[in-house]
Amino acid sequence: MNRSLSFEIFRYAAILAIVALSLVPTLWMASMAFKPIAEWSATGADLTWWPKSPTLDNFRFLFGESSSDLIVALDRTATQPILASLLAAIFGTLIAMIAGTSAAYGLSRFGSGGNLPLALIQLRIFPPMAVMIPVMIMWAFLGLIDTWYGLALVYGIVTMPFAFWLMKTFFDDMPREIEDAALVEGCSRLRVFWKITLPMMRPALASSALFVFILNWSDYLIGLLLTTRDWVTIPVYMASLSSSMTGQLYGAKAALGLIAAIPPVVLGIAIQKHLVRGLTFGALKQ
Amino acid sequence: MTSIHLENLGKTFGSFTALKNMNLEIADGEFVALLGPSGCGKSTTMNMISGMIEPSEGEIRFGDRDMRGVPMSRRGVGFVFQNYAIFTHMTVYENLAYGLRATGVAKAERERRVNDMAEFLHLTPLLKRPAAGLSVNILQRLAIGRSAIMEPAIFLLDEPLSNVDAAFRAVMRTELKHLQREFRQTMVYVTHDQLEAMTMADRIAVMDHGKLLQVGTPIDVYNNPSNVFVAGFLGSPGMNLIKGRSVMADGVMRVDLGEAGLSAPLGDALSRSAREGKAVVYGFRPEHCELTDGDGLRLPVNFVERIGARTILHMGRDGHSIKGVFDNRVPVRQGDIVTLAIDPSNIRLFDADTGNAIAEAH
Repeated sequence: MNRSLSFEIFRYAAILAIVALSLVPTLWMASMAFKPIAEWSATGADLTWWPKSPTLDNFRFLFGESSSDLIVALDRTATQPILASLLAAIFGTLIAMIAGTSAAYGLSRFGSGGNLPLALIQLRIFPPMAVMIPVMIMWAFLGLIDTWYGLALVYGIVTMPFAFWLMKTFFDDMPREIEDAALVEGCSRLRVFWKITLPMMRPALASSALFVFILNWSDYLIGLLLTTRDWVTIPVYMASLSSSMTGQLYGAKAALGLIAAIPPVVLGIAIQKHLVRGLTFGALKQ
Repeated sequence: MTSIHLENLGKTFGSFTALKNMNLEIADGEFVALLGPSGCGKSTTMNMISGMIEPSEGEIRFGDRDMRGVPMSRRGVGFVFQNYAIFTHMTVYENLAYGLRATGVAKAERERRVNDMAEFLHLTPLLKRPAAGLSVNILQRLAIGRSAIMEPAIFLLDEPLSNVDAAFRAVMRTELKHLQREFRQTMVYVTHDQLEAMTMADRIAVMDHGKLLQVGTPIDVYNNPSNVFVAGFLGSPGMNLIKGRSVMADGVMRVDLGEAGLSAPLGDALSRSAREGKAVVYGFRPEHCELTDGDGLRLPVNFVERIGARTILHMGRDGHSIKGVFDNRVPVRQGDIVTLAIDPSNIRLFDADTGNAIAEAH
């Protein structure tokens, strides 16, 4: 009893330590986002956990209102990068999910596609750098550099293997009898796919899409290489938030980081029911 | 309503032969059970009838319509799966209505049929409930209803009761039989449970290792198994099968059963077909033997199994395992030596080499 109690204490201490370790930087960022320049640029003893005089200056600054304390002005606001990130990540996720789900279904049900699974893994074996330069050249040729759709297309291609592999395991786990039952009752294949398979796969689709979206949303490298000015994404834009006078604009970066955290969190909460429920095809003998 | 004809049906998966040379005629409105252990080819046969898989050879006809290349959605069969295959994202009502909706049955008609079927299967109070989270018993009932509502000419059931509990199984056996009387479909029922096959089917088709061994009415197959597999598979416990050799003694044909001694003289029909000196398998059902003080097989009792209504004696030496079913007050204890008298009219002989029955002993 005692032994298991001490073990429990140790276990919770370890969990708390890990949680603190991962939460502290996040909380620090959140706090910093609301600090005026004097506070976020402070050092040593002047550092405080809570903003002494909380302000929305950092957010105002990001969206173009010049701050009284900060004598720098941005050459562009955060609006366009946020839009770029949203468009590229959303459409990239759509491309990856549509292509990945279709391929996974075909392979899982009909064994079509031959070496596709392996070929898709190969896409992930290369470090992105190895292929991004050729892609950059192709994209330049096609006029896709610095466009949100050019970026979305690459995102879709790069994250499609994840969508494919996730969905394939889910399809493999779904018993064929469910589709056969609908087929035998006179449904067409396509109707079965739309009315039976996809609705039953909703939890799987939701969790795969979230995973793919987060991958796309947090990309830096591809955005850096394929966008130059009009459609730079949040991470790329964030890297540019510095000035020769004040150095890194940590306050603005923290504010932007906080904004960037919103979509994944909101999505996560929105589909939480599905994530928690996972894949329970409750009505089947396992 | 449709008859089913299977001709020289065969299926191979790569180098594995799941089924070969299956010939079976199922009459219109007949209830046939395909019975056999797992892997005997019964589900393969069923899947070919439904069109889920195509035969490697042979022919399937419904009435005189050749089914080659006809997709399963056009065969007009109903299929109930072992694992229910319920659409868990829908309500009970939507599940029942699904096929009707897919085939474009008008709404009023749809509602009427769903309500009738729900009434028939006692699902009415559950119609608005989501299918996810219902008990397995209800799910299987729903699965049967979802297929039956389409009023298919042919109703295929693939071990529909093997996941439900024993009490519910008994209820469903009656209900399925009732359902078939009501709708008069041709029913093919796959099972490894002989009780289901015996109680429900008009005819039983016993299969093993991809081969159809015997087809007949339950009683006929039970009384006159065509080979040792069927003899041992049917009945609980199955038929006693003892290896021996036919011998002529005192002018009558008997079977030398080794340590158990000589059998009683064989009947006329069996004597005629069993040549002297032939290696045979001597078979009798556990319920066809009695304890006697006179002549008979002398066997030690290894184990006394009391199952309530009956007592099963496990007897025999070495390789022999002979079972006898007696009433529950049989005065025998483990270790006793008993003498068994076997009703001569219920003795079956099988060829020890081929396993086939030697003569039809009616």
